[in-house]
Amino acid sequence: MAIAQVRVPEAKISGWMGFDGLVQLISVDGQRTVGCPYWELVADVGAEQLRDLYTDMVVVRRIDAEAMALQRQGELGLWAPLLGQEAAQVGSARALQPDDFVFPSYREHGVAYCRGVDPVAMLRLWRGTALSGWDPADFGIATPAIIVGSQALHATGYALGILLDGAPSAAVAYFGDGASSEGDVAEAFGFAASYTVPVVFVCQNNQWAISEPVRLQSHASIARRGEGYGIPGIEVDGNDVLAVLAATRLALARAYAGQGPTLIEAVTYRLGPHTTSDDPTRYRSHAEEDEWRAKDPLVRLRALLRAEGLSDDTFETAVSAAADEAAATLRRGCLALADPPPGALFEHVYAGPHPLLEEERAAYAEYLSTLDPEA
Amino acid sequence: MPAGGVRGVRHFLLPDLGEGLTEAEIVAWHVAPGDEVALNQVLVDVETEKAVVELPSPYAGSVVEVLAREGETVGVGTPIIAIDTSGEGEGTADNVPMLVGYGPSETAPSRRRRSGRRHLDRGGAPSAPTGSRPLAAPPVRFMARQIGIDLADVTGHGPGGVITREDLAAHLAGVAVAGPPPGEGPGRESRAPVRGVQKHMAAAMVRSVATAPQACVFLTLDVTPTMELVERLRANRHFDGLHVTPLAVVARAMVLALRDAPALNSSWDEATSEVVTKHYVNLGVAVAGPLGLFVPNVKDAQGMTLRELTQALAELTAKARDARCTPAELAGGTITLTNVGVFGVDAGVPILNPGEAAILALGAVQRRPWEFESAVALRDVVTLSLAFDHRLVDGQEASRYLTAVGEILADPTNLVAFG
Amino acid sequence: MATMSLSKALNAGLREALERDPKVVLMGEDIGKLGGVFRVTEGLQRDFGERRVIDTPLAESGVIGTAVGLALRGYRPVCEIQFDGFVYPAFDQIVSQVAKLRYRNEGRVAMPMTIRVPYGGGIGAVEHHSESPEAYFAHTAGLRVVTPSNAGDAHRMIQQAIASDDPVVFFEPKRRYWEKDEVDEAAPLSAVPLDRARVVIEGTDVTVAAYGPMVATALDAARIGAAEGTSIEVIDLRSLSPVDFDTIEASVNKTGRLVVAHEASVFCGLGAEIAARVSERCFYHLESPVRRVGGFATPYPASRMERHFLPDADRILHEVDRCLQAA
Repeated sequence: MAIAQVRVPEAKISGWMGFDGLVQLISVDGQRTVGCPYWELVADVGAEQLRDLYTDMVVVRRIDAEAMALQRQGELGLWAPLLGQEAAQVGSARALQPDDFVFPSYREHGVAYCRGVDPVAMLRLWRGTALSGWDPADFGIATPAIIVGSQALHATGYALGILLDGAPSAAVAYFGDGASSEGDVAEAFGFAASYTVPVVFVCQNNQWAISEPVRLQSHASIARRGEGYGIPGIEVDGNDVLAVLAATRLALARAYAGQGPTLIEAVTYRLGPHTTSDDPTRYRSHAEEDEWRAKDPLVRLRALLRAEGLSDDTFETAVSAAADEAAATLRRGCLALADPPPGALFEHVYAGPHPLLEEERAAYAEYLSTLDPEA
Repeated sequence: MPAGGVRGVRHFLLPDLGEGLTEAEIVAWHVAPGDEVALNQVLVDVETEKAVVELPSPYAGSVVEVLAREGETVGVGTPIIAIDTSGEGEGTADNVPMLVGYGPSETAPSRRRRSGRRHLDRGGAPSAPTGSRPLAAPPVRFMARQIGIDLADVTGHGPGGVITREDLAAHLAGVAVAGPPPGEGPGRESRAPVRGVQKHMAAAMVRSVATAPQACVFLTLDVTPTMELVERLRANRHFDGLHVTPLAVVARAMVLALRDAPALNSSWDEATSEVVTKHYVNLGVAVAGPLGLFVPNVKDAQGMTLRELTQALAELTAKARDARCTPAELAGGTITLTNVGVFGVDAGVPILNPGEAAILALGAVQRRPWEFESAVALRDVVTLSLAFDHRLVDGQEASRYLTAVGEILADPTNLVAFG
Repeated sequence: MATMSLSKALNAGLREALERDPKVVLMGEDIGKLGGVFRVTEGLQRDFGERRVIDTPLAESGVIGTAVGLALRGYRPVCEIQFDGFVYPAFDQIVSQVAKLRYRNEGRVAMPMTIRVPYGGGIGAVEHHSESPEAYFAHTAGLRVVTPSNAGDAHRMIQQAIASDDPVVFFEPKRRYWEKDEVDEAAPLSAVPLDRARVVIEGTDVTVAAYGPMVATALDAARIGAAEGTSIEVIDLRSLSPVDFDTIEASVNKTGRLVVAHEASVFCGLGAEIAARVSERCFYHLESPVRRVGGFATPYPASRMERHFLPDADRILHEVDRCLQAA
């Protein structure tokens, strides 16, 4: 992991928070912007770190594409692609400490990757061999939340626990623009603000909730939504990995300093379908997709690296190879994921033995023994 | 390391593309036979109920054959393309031709033959600890209560000691279950195991008595004209080789009289609560032989002439005496005739053949003083005993039937009336 | 008569309801332009407009609560909950408000709302997309709960549900959405009442009562049973609240044996209520206890294990056998 943990000076926090515009550090065509105070938050990010961020995004995109292909080949039941959101996820995830704890939705494969989760482990729930893929305690990231918005409350509660423990870490909830309409999210804002807990709410506004455009969820900027609760917001260009990194560092600093929750709205775009079961041609135009393709997060960072002489063909070839390798590893791992035995379905319902379950388990085992072996 | 599997031609099966979709239409192929394809290269566009979707190749290799045409709708799991992967380093694991677990999990109602299905003791019925209250299914308890049996007095022979209907019937029939009363001992009695024909007959009798309420009507009449007819038929060339007896005439009379008394040719279906009236007559005849009592029946006796009936009865009787009847001959009877007269008795109260509504017992034909043309004369007199199932037949119907049979026997010219 | 999928049959029924009554309004996530994630509302917003087919913000409680208000204003809302597992945020509005408002207002107020919920498993889905929560709603007084098993019933029942002045929770068996069947579009709605069960095939040895997605499984079991010499009568319950006990009673009095099959966990599922009531009504006709077959007392498992959780024809026949073995 190339990005260092940066101690953000407390005294300067309010100054940055005073900035009231869209935070963008790399323009769409790959140039560093001038004048944004957030540059200071990423002053330590040099050539090597920039190349690492780029590599992360390329690999994440490739893994995501491979998973899509695997679904189309019948190896996964479903996949929710993150295409277009790589910067929002990698940028924010690379700001986190090991002790921070993440509550993702079901699209944060990039965040999980950055937390160190094996991509093959991520596939277990999409392939259906298990309901989850990893131990949350090992990587500081909870299992994906398919019930939209529920994770915002969980993050708030976890942050309350951090507060009660007096620990110098934070909880981070990821959710989308659609989730911001759910009651759970509103309640999370209320609780988080009321107790001043160390939580960061990262909303990836990717413009669409399945077929519903963000305007159906809200007529106002989602970054502003927290203000009613006393939660300051940062609106950041979600396709600018540096800007997202900076904003997340700032929000974490506020949390560590006991200043309470922050809401980050990372403005991005869901270039792919909602999931592999969705067909975006039914509700949005190619023109709109093309417009956002022009703002692609990888393209702009590549342009910057090239322009500043930080990347060349050798580097890009190596990155490409790393991505291909990751995809091949993913494919092999996916195909090797075996079905669990029937008894597994009775495990882990409760902490200990349960009379009804024991009875059902025994009866089912006995029933299976009366059958001929499966063909 | 390759995922394993056989090299060579692989089939890509149409996968389930989400949430239970069962089929897709091939919209456009992007490859043709002979083309080299790379892993994940888009092969084809397919359209489901929900979306148009590109399918990337799971294999690298060369296209051998396209197996589904553009415009064709194929079901999930159908092979759509064959790709030769020989010589390629890596491919997907050899896919067993089944859905990769997604979509509606039932394809055809395929079933695994369940071995050991009919093991009646396999954990189905509750176990009965000794000394506990008697076990019986609700209908059996109800029946016991109606009849007035205390279940504590009945031994159950169902799984786990449960009391069955048969157990109740056996109890009713007074079959001894307990051991010998005190005071008895070896030498003072003999024991023979109940088995074979006796066992079967006993069970049938018990079942009959336990399930059907039986009543009986009697008719004693002068059948001298029938006896005279029998004499004449014995000399008749059409009956050469056959031994004509009054029994045959009684049989014919029974069959004919059923035309106006279908209730006596019916049965009670407890399971469906229906009365089943048969439109054919399988006339059973009770035959007692050295090997036991058998009741074979003449199939479709209603369509037989007296001659045919005589012959059929003779054949069945001979077979029954030798215990040569087949199960088919012994089953399916609709009404029964039993000749108790051969044993020298006048009448009896016969027991219904289970499943039938009536049974007629023919007594011995005796010369008796009887009223004849306003004077007393010695006539051939016989008693007919008709037992019937009072669920299906009432006294009036039974009596009418019996008198109709009697009418024919009293004056066989009535046979002509029936054609 | 036309042959169409269950999804299309619902679409046709919704269309007729929209045409028939201008107060009918559809609400739900992605039902407008997209036509619903299962295409059940396809083409309806195009044809009836955005004021009658309304895409809602992503909030189930919001959908139902807003619909309560619309109903009080005289509209007849038809709400879609996108998947069974997502109904729970709306549970409070449904149970505390929709179910009780008529009662609380002593009949002065009506809740003629239909809540459509795709339910059930067997589609290889991720978590929360394969639930069978019908028992929670059947247990709630004030709600009607129904579930079609085939396209023909779906077409008629959705219209009857919408026309009902009671709130109806309408469970749609999602794994049967694409199965085609005959739909008699001309048949009058009154032909078969919404709360009536149906004997699908007759039999004499055992009655199997099922509903929704399990009816097809029960029919498979009956066919296999017939080949083995067991005559199974299959009942499609259709209505879970109220349950048509008259039809069940007549059948059990005939066969003397009952197996209830559903995907939902057996413990405290609909089968429990049916078993209890049939025991009361048919006690002296029962040759064996009423048996139930359904999911285990676990959450719905990962999709690669769902075939163990969901009853199949074999599991139904296993219970049929146990019925036949009892004295």
